[in-house]
Amino acid sequence: VAVLEKNILISLAENAVKAALKEGAQDAEAYVYEGQASNIGIELGQISKTNRIIDRGLGIRVAANKAIGFAYTNIVEDPKAIEKAVSSALSAARASKPDADWNGLPQKKPYDVTHKTFDKKILALSSEDLVNTAATMLDAAGQVDKRVFPIEGGVGSACIANAIANSNGVTGFDRGTIIECSVATLAKEGNSVTPVCFEFNAGRTYNLDPSWIGREAAKLAVSALKTKSVETKSGKVILTQFALQDLLSYTLINSIRADSIQRDQSPFKGKLGEKVASENLTIYDDGLFTGGLRTWAFDGEGVPHQKTPVIEKGILKNFLYDNYSAKKDGKESTGNASRAGYLSTPGIDTTNFHIIPGNKSSDEMLSEVNDGLIVYYLQGAHSSNPVSGEFSVVATPAWKIKNGEITHCSRGVMLAGNIFELLKNISVVGANERQMGQLISPWIQVENVRVIGQ
Amino acid sequence: LKDLLTKINNTATQKFGAKYAEARAQKLYKTSLTLKEERVEAAKQGIENGVAIRVLVNGAWGFASVGSFDDAILEGAVSDACKMAELASARLKMPIKLADAKGINDRVLSKPKKNPADILMEEKIKTALAVNKASLGFDNRIKSCSMDYFDLTGTSTFVNSEGTCIEQDKLYVWARITASALSGGVFTFSREEIGSTAGYELFDTQVPDVLGVKVAKLAIEQLDAKSPKGGKFPVVLGPNVVGVFVHEAFGHLAEADLALSGGVLANNLGKKIGSDLVTFYDDGTIEGAFGAFKYDDEGVPSHKTLLIKDGVVSGLMHNRETAQKFKAQPTGNARAEDFRVEPIIRMRCTYMAPREQSPEELIKGVKSGYYFKSFRGGQANLDGTFQVGIQEGYEIVKGELGAAVRNASISGSTLETLHKVDGVGKDFMLDPGRCGKGQTAFISDGGPHIRISEVVVGGSA
Repeated sequence: VAVLEKNILISLAENAVKAALKEGAQDAEAYVYEGQASNIGIELGQISKTNRIIDRGLGIRVAANKAIGFAYTNIVEDPKAIEKAVSSALSAARASKPDADWNGLPQKKPYDVTHKTFDKKILALSSEDLVNTAATMLDAAGQVDKRVFPIEGGVGSACIANAIANSNGVTGFDRGTIIECSVATLAKEGNSVTPVCFEFNAGRTYNLDPSWIGREAAKLAVSALKTKSVETKSGKVILTQFALQDLLSYTLINSIRADSIQRDQSPFKGKLGEKVASENLTIYDDGLFTGGLRTWAFDGEGVPHQKTPVIEKGILKNFLYDNYSAKKDGKESTGNASRAGYLSTPGIDTTNFHIIPGNKSSDEMLSEVNDGLIVYYLQGAHSSNPVSGEFSVVATPAWKIKNGEITHCSRGVMLAGNIFELLKNISVVGANERQMGQLISPWIQVENVRVIGQ
Repeated sequence: LKDLLTKINNTATQKFGAKYAEARAQKLYKTSLTLKEERVEAAKQGIENGVAIRVLVNGAWGFASVGSFDDAILEGAVSDACKMAELASARLKMPIKLADAKGINDRVLSKPKKNPADILMEEKIKTALAVNKASLGFDNRIKSCSMDYFDLTGTSTFVNSEGTCIEQDKLYVWARITASALSGGVFTFSREEIGSTAGYELFDTQVPDVLGVKVAKLAIEQLDAKSPKGGKFPVVLGPNVVGVFVHEAFGHLAEADLALSGGVLANNLGKKIGSDLVTFYDDGTIEGAFGAFKYDDEGVPSHKTLLIKDGVVSGLMHNRETAQKFKAQPTGNARAEDFRVEPIIRMRCTYMAPREQSPEELIKGVKSGYYFKSFRGGQANLDGTFQVGIQEGYEIVKGELGAAVRNASISGSTLETLHKVDGVGKDFMLDPGRCGKGQTAFISDGGPHIRISEVVVGGSA
């Protein structure tokens, strides 16, 4: 199936907006999405499955008498299906209740140019190329140690396009590529099985090192085979990007969303300009980060992406807004309206959540810890309290650090605490930045974390 | 439509030499709503049409999904799937084979008393508003509340190259209610999910006012709760927590694909891994339950599958591929979220069978420990480590319920913990939920009250 052209996607959006206005909408916005993805899958130690998924659709949001309706269809080649979506959106709005805080859709603003978000090389990859990459990764994992079993993973490429139009004259189009390569392994010896260890590359341009991925995932699994328990106490913990991404996305990120503030769901309410974290912590939400996995020219409402300071040297600077929450506070959207394709209305989320790196390398960080833990993966982060920021999670696994050296792995170690205390107890921010989903971050060392041993 | 799907399967088997081919066409209608503090955020309606094609070529899977019923587009998709599978098969060490499945011809109709597709949007908004109002009105310390409502109706038509042809209705009604409270700088949060595959009559038993109050109460009670002590304790778990414990601590390990991946159950089939009191099922046949259905997405009838009986591992949950590897029968656990994804092994309604004790007796038997009544999230790992976050919990002091605790969680090793189940109640409850394994599946889980003699409690005090 051929990729739809830019002008086709834009005119689909524009025509839907026109149709909605004609049917009596006061405000109308149409979002068109097209994604084409190919994936080579690894299962049970071998390359055994492939998939190719083509998904496109149109979502239309309308306001009628300040009541909001939304409808979508994935049948974009049929004008009747789009007409039906438009009238469904209006009938939903008419069935709904007016929202006194509804203050219209965003106005037109110029878009910045994004960098390293589209790579023709990814588009040109053949299925054979993907199979070969997966095979290289598998071979590398297998060569590390016989006790390692690569359970799942794969190599996938995707090309995504989105277009938006609204009744204020906003028109946008953006296209981007993504490539991902990952493997999950575990190691087995006798009856002992390690937790799942995972490594990956993901980016917007073609820059993969499949051998490194396979090797690292395998090495981690092997190092988790022999375990010793750790004692229950409060101490130093180094959180790698895997653990941070999991923990922050269920705690801190909720608390900086403007809707959480407006709904009394965040301890950060009324704390702009105050010190909320250690001085060495600076975080930007950067929707234009070069090559960022969430870098696009505009957000889910057609508002330009921007770079927003969230925390600077420990001081809380800004909350993240979409158009609705911004208008409610008499502010401008920060370009943080996020969409799950064409299937839903926008909601507030981070773009690229960038924790600015410090100067210490990972080796330096480890060498300076006399007694502590390093935690790669977490289990149960989604069971954190999204409002109070309290968490109680399992490190799967944790490695003990003694006199600057990693000495052994420990399983079933629990970490409990509160994200807002944790932010104040950050003692070291590393230099080893990497990108993981929405997070771009180095390792972070935290003092005084409650550790419950087995 | 059936003819079109048969034609696609024929292309795969005749033109591209596929050993097996299946096509699954779906027409889905969805309605959803989000209300926050009595404000309707958006009333949403959507239509999705699409076909999933899966082929087995030289022992490798090829899968393609397109949002179209167009003949030419489907021919292109099946060609893509076959060619990619053939390429991937070059590296295969163990070609994939499927266990035999009986050819089936059936039309499965859903028979709701109240079809959600016939209920007006106004009515759905009214229901959600009633829930919201009840939460907000319960106590002025409730600061926010929300209700997400979702329903899905539609049809899935499954045709494979072995003569199976099933047209099956789909129906789901689901809602999540949350509330947050704030008092004296303390923030709390509570949630509850309801769901059914029967129909909109769900709200006849889940009365909106009662639901709203229930969730608000949970958030208010936590305001005065304290942090639990971390460490090893005896615990009594309520049915809601037992369900998640069964699902996370054992259920995932009993999914045959994860067992083959090296999960700790693979070596324990037929072995005793728990106390005599431990019997678990995964049952897809409970009418109206969230997660129940007649045929799975490989056209296999849904079974009631015994997983562990009196502590002995009795069976796993299979698709046709894993059933062949284990020389077992497929159990009807192959489920796909929609036509965009391939079927994988998923749970249905997973529960622990009740025994004889009363919940009060179980609590009486604990000198110093905790009673955990409802959960907030849980997660499993293949090494057999489980974690379940607790929403509502209480101390147990000398056999009596004491002060409320908040933000606790329990964790441990499944193989050790199942031996420590030393009391199982005679009560029983199933709760609906959603499970993530790359795709989202609607499931239920539950059981009676149980007592575990020792588990690690993660608390910050």
